[in-house]
Amino acid sequence: MNSLNKRLSAEKRFRAYGLFAVALSMFFVLILMWKIFSTGSGAFVRTTIEANVFFNPDFIQVNQNSLEKELYRASYVALADEVVRQNHPKLNEEQFIKVREMYTRKFDYQLRDYLLDNPDKIGQSIIMKITASSDLDQIVKGNYPRDVPEAQRKINDYQLSVLDKLTSEGKVSSVFNFWFFTKGDSRDPESAGIWGAVMGSLYALIICFSFAFPIGLLASVYLEEFVKPGKVTDIIEVNINNLAAVPSIVFGLLGLGMLIGVIGLPYQVPLVGGLVLGFMTLPTIIIASRASLRSVPPSIREGALAVGATKMQTVFHHVIPLSLPGTLTGTIIGMAQALGETAPLLMIGMVAFVMEIPGGPLDPATGLPSQIYLWSESAERGFLEKTSAGIMLLLLFLIIMNTAAVVIRRRLEVKW
Amino acid sequence: MVEQVNSFAIKTKNVSVHYGNKMAIDDVTINFTKNDVTSLIGPSGCGKSTFLRCLNRMNDVIESCKVQGEFLLNGVTDIYGDSIQVETLREKIGMVFQKPNPFPKSIFENVAYGPKIHGLASTQSELNDIVMESLNRAGLYEEVKDRMDDIATGLSGGQQQRLCIARAIAIRPEIILMDEPCSALDPIATARIEELINELKEKYTIIIVTHSMSQASRISQRTAFFHLGKLIEHGDTSKIFTKPDKEQTNDYITGRFG
Repeated sequence: MNSLNKRLSAEKRFRAYGLFAVALSMFFVLILMWKIFSTGSGAFVRTTIEANVFFNPDFIQVNQNSLEKELYRASYVALADEVVRQNHPKLNEEQFIKVREMYTRKFDYQLRDYLLDNPDKIGQSIIMKITASSDLDQIVKGNYPRDVPEAQRKINDYQLSVLDKLTSEGKVSSVFNFWFFTKGDSRDPESAGIWGAVMGSLYALIICFSFAFPIGLLASVYLEEFVKPGKVTDIIEVNINNLAAVPSIVFGLLGLGMLIGVIGLPYQVPLVGGLVLGFMTLPTIIIASRASLRSVPPSIREGALAVGATKMQTVFHHVIPLSLPGTLTGTIIGMAQALGETAPLLMIGMVAFVMEIPGGPLDPATGLPSQIYLWSESAERGFLEKTSAGIMLLLLFLIIMNTAAVVIRRRLEVKW
Repeated sequence: MVEQVNSFAIKTKNVSVHYGNKMAIDDVTINFTKNDVTSLIGPSGCGKSTFLRCLNRMNDVIESCKVQGEFLLNGVTDIYGDSIQVETLREKIGMVFQKPNPFPKSIFENVAYGPKIHGLASTQSELNDIVMESLNRAGLYEEVKDRMDDIATGLSGGQQQRLCIARAIAIRPEIILMDEPCSALDPIATARIEELINELKEKYTIIIVTHSMSQASRISQRTAFFHLGKLIEHGDTSKIFTKPDKEQTNDYITGRFG
């Protein structure tokens, strides 16, 4: 009886340890999530200042009949300064510089983009929400304290007084930050977007998939179905398993040395990034594919062979279709891993400052994780929230991919 | 009993099979008469399944398996010779396995697969006819005619096995090998298959491995008793089960060992 009590209390203790372990890990996950969300959510809104904009045809030297090329080249920088002067009359030169700093440096681009979309507004006066500079944005969001000495602030007392005046007039408002999802990188946090990095990662993943999936599938089918097991296959098997455990930076070095150094592919392009990620994903795909080929019951092969199918027909008509869900699941999980890999991208240069959104796998680009890394290195407070928002987006993609893997598995898996 | 050369579907002579160094079949000589059901009986591990799988070269896929001896199809074609490809051979000698193994595809696809890869049907309607006829002959058509596109693995065990028989006869074989086709089925499904075997022997030569002696006595005209890789006795079923020549056979069928 006594010993039974002992055993029962041992079980109770064990359960408590288990519960504690689960609770602890949940706690850390929650802290991580809370930290990322509380920091990153700011990146999805940006502060704007309402301003009266008069597209004076004499000033920008275009008219209703101007070609788009002319509209594109018009002098928007001067117009931006003019808009600031008109909305804040009676400024001396020093005050003007300070007030101009409250607006984004990309003021002119905002004006240009608006006019390109609405050329009929030439000669008219409209009210536009001009994006505020990142420093002002951070003050409005409360990320910069106001009650510290002026020398420690990026926004000085004069600018604060202007801001308060604008706020009391109801001209300061927050809007959803589309720019974050549509623009490439920028030196100015307020106009920096993740889309260039997303496209870079997308091209890299497409290359990665189209390189690694067919090769991985064919290699595993050959190894599993056609080749006679022996010493050579044993050596290959050990090497594939080892490759799966090789640190990703080594694959990056391989890409740098082989693809860029020897073959001469360009630096910092998604083509090379995708191939390197493909090298890295290949062992994962082969291992997953071989496992799922092995899980196809031998009776299916026998059934096909017994009606006179050739080995090849047996494999391609029956075995591969049945193993495909497992192979695809493994591939997607491998690609999700590849999406989050930073080290290989660093080695092949996909970590540069790229403003343009890449239009193809041969355009210079960054990847999502390297963009996050770049932003995390930046000093401006505005990039801190971009970093977290980038992580949120990366996590979202990972969740989507892993969910897709589970769904494919559930949907397509054959029940015996 | 007068036996002519061409009345044998398969003739074998001095067959030995080794798995690596282990002998599985030891010098077996046996001939299978056409349009008969021949049962191969014997205790587990006696080599009867191994022998059956030699007849359509299913043992080829097993790396360590070595087959020696003479196998003649219809008295002339060397089964292991160069004059016939293994795929053509299996077109002539179909097989049904112990566990029903329909492809996880539609019922139609299961039966149509063999005719498709062998090019037995040139049009879709010909293919439909073959599928319908095969299912009919396997006694399954009435049960599945309304759900030909349903997945075959959703059928009951007995239906699956009859589907596998339909799949085997869809390529119009001369001989059907059956490896304990009823061992995974309940008595009612078993009775249904036995009935079917009885009907099929009109058109096909059937060689069946079975563990059930009552089944052997019910369905087969000829019975061969294997023990420890050797063919102990082979003859008319009625004789084997009433007054066998060998003591071992008598011991086995009366349940004294095995």
